Amino acid sequence: MILPFHLVKSCGGFVFAAQGSDIHTFSSALEHVSTWKYPAQPVDKPHEPSAETQSSPAPEGPPAKRRKVEDCQDSVSIGQPAESTNGKPKSKKAAQYDCPANERPFIQGLYATADGRHLIAITGADKTIWVFEHDLAATLTLTRSMPKRPCALALTTDNRTILSADKFGDVYALPLLPSSTSKSVENSTANQSSPRSTTSSIQTPSRSTTPSAKPFKPQADPLTVHTKRNLKALEAQKISLARREAILREQQQAANRPQFEHTLLLGHVSMLTAICVGTSSSVDGRPREYIITADRDEHIRVSRGVPQAHVIEGFCLGHEDFVSRLCVAPGGRAELLISGGGDDDLFVWDWLHGTLLGRAGVLEHVKEVAGHEAASKVALTRIFACRWEGVRVVVFVVVECVPALFQFELLEDNTLQHRETIPLPGNPLDMEAIETPGATPRLLVAVYPGEEGGSSLIPLDKEEAGWRLGRVENLPAGGDANIGDEELQKILYSTESLRKSSDFD
Amino acid sequence: MGGDKIRKDKRQKREDYRAAIRKEGVSELPRKKFYRQRAHANPFSDHQLIYPPHPDQMDWSSLYPDYVVDEPQEQQTPGPETPSDLDLAPLRPKRISKEVEVADIGCGFGGLLVALGPLMPDTLVLGLEIRVQVTQFVEDRIKALRVQDQEAKLYRNVGVLRANTMKFLPNFFRKGQLSKIFICFPDPHFKARKHKQRIVSTTLNSEYAYVLRPGGVVYTITDVPDLHEWMVQHFEAHPSFERVPEEEQEADTLVNVMRTETEEGKKVERNKGQKHVALFRRLEDPAW
Repeated sequence: MILPFHLVKSCGGFVFAAQGSDIHTFSSALEHVSTWKYPAQPVDKPHEPSAETQSSPAPEGPPAKRRKVEDCQDSVSIGQPAESTNGKPKSKKAAQYDCPANERPFIQGLYATADGRHLIAITGADKTIWVFEHDLAATLTLTRSMPKRPCALALTTDNRTILSADKFGDVYALPLLPSSTSKSVENSTANQSSPRSTTSSIQTPSRSTTPSAKPFKPQADPLTVHTKRNLKALEAQKISLARREAILREQQQAANRPQFEHTLLLGHVSMLTAICVGTSSSVDGRPREYIITADRDEHIRVSRGVPQAHVIEGFCLGHEDFVSRLCVAPGGRAELLISGGGDDDLFVWDWLHGTLLGRAGVLEHVKEVAGHEAASKVALTRIFACRWEGVRVVVFVVVECVPALFQFELLEDNTLQHRETIPLPGNPLDMEAIETPGATPRLLVAVYPGEEGGSSLIPLDKEEAGWRLGRVENLPAGGDANIGDEELQKILYSTESLRKSSDFD
Repeated sequence: MGGDKIRKDKRQKREDYRAAIRKEGVSELPRKKFYRQRAHANPFSDHQLIYPPHPDQMDWSSLYPDYVVDEPQEQQTPGPETPSDLDLAPLRPKRISKEVEVADIGCGFGGLLVALGPLMPDTLVLGLEIRVQVTQFVEDRIKALRVQDQEAKLYRNVGVLRANTMKFLPNFFRKGQLSKIFICFPDPHFKARKHKQRIVSTTLNSEYAYVLRPGGVVYTITDVPDLHEWMVQHFEAHPSFERVPEEEQEADTLVNVMRTETEEGKKVERNKGQKHVALFRRLEDPAW
């Protein structure tokens, strides 16, 4: 079946849209420029020359953009989902959800640096972060496979560091581009070892290896185990110790291979769902960065930025279900945070002081679209805020499986007010604003058209009579994916699954 | 099945016992054998936990009824508020005159709690335990002790809660609320694969630093040398903590209480095991 576009991101005058595991580039006038394909297994598609994946020059307008696929083949585990570091195959569940028919994993997130020079993508099953350089020619510059699956990314304000929040609850900092020394190291390993082993050679910087890794030795001793069976087990453990040590030595040699720079900054004991960076000026008036993270257990945590990320400044507590999205308000209102998730409302916070400023109902508007009986809860998938007509700050909200956009306005008194509900021909998956100087921004929405088909990428223009739904001409057809409708929906609609199932009273 | 029958009998006895102890006004101390539970709990699972969304919404009055403040009712009357206003200021639970200042994380059967109560009569001490049965035991134990010590009014300052502190510590305590945290004989999680479940880790230490006031102390004790080393390494590596020097540690009376009064401490004593103690002081946050 034909996959819908499920992610859109505007970056440096271009628009990028993900469709399954491919990323398409469009000009700001929405003309298709080029396509990057997730590197496929060579055996599968031996006929595919690299020229095909490289772009043909755009007919007019923006300069042609080229993607190099062959560059990355040395550093990517090709095709199959990467194996975890201890050589155990990925869990069945992940493989099933993200690698339809054991193919290429879906792009799970698209991010752009504020300067518009780099585009960053994450793929799920292989836990990889992809960095694309976006100059005159956009090139895949770097891939890095994380110890755990990244759920969300943010960039520091200097555009140099990626903050990766993962499923395991940890936040890692990694340089957007490697410093010159580590780059050379990375290249050399890429050349000398097989593609597979490069990605899997990255040592897992788990809590167990910080602050220092130690050789294995049985932790229990005859004084701490009390039962006969446990004592016996301890004996057995000691006997096999010598053998284990030999294996360990081998492993350590493997682990000594160079790895990319990454630092553990902070962690929740819960799955992270969103991360963003807030700034506020300190006592001496200089701007200070803060890392705001949200998890499945209703928490929003505010930590200081690097290098004091270990200091928790506060929490924004009040959500009673999972938090799935965070958004720092634009337009000089950076002290405000808008959050949402499984609760019926959107929350507005003074994030630095952890105070709740306001709530705005979403469920009531969802009911107007989906029917009062059908809709009983909200799983919020996007909060998108932008400046509108100069001073206004508008917030668009996407709710999972509801075919509409909900528009709110952030008022002067820091509350959110519902302005309108924009009906759509399908369930929205992602949205982005395309800024055009001097005019109101144009919205671009990725929708899942459903079984009837129809365009999956819809531009929206605000006109006096209301919103005009546009069309993107010559949409790239996109590969046929070997995936059933049900399976696809599981991938596209994953937010509701964050809800805890235990509340059946 | 014979096994099933035995289990059923056991459960039945347990229920009968607990019903009886409730009826008889809980003057008798509960017996452990009716409250046993597997020693490990998975801190990553959702369980069916009850916790406040925000520390301000925590109702402490049922845990420390002697400290409830009688407030005039006028605060309770809601004005002409819109629903959203009500949501913003949820009903405040009954206030208590003091705040919890000492937490025993993983209090088990409550030996330390019961020892600390009379030792720091002016401080509210809270035990937190993830296992339901064990929490129930401590609850019944405190109830019984309060009845027994009617005149001296002891144990009015100790309470116990079922909670997963690895996830929900900031739901119960505000920033800098605690002066002491006890982590006594935590689950060692021997397997390397399970190290992430340990109660002390680089990232969790940030949460302990958050709820502790500068100058506050984390007390740790274990009979597992490697776990001791692990805890020392992780606290020393954390910029918000420094280790308390040994002389000062030994001068602290609470250290001795922790060594001898915890249930696990007594068990280690019986088995002639070693006990490793380490204390860590919360440092002032650097300027930012």
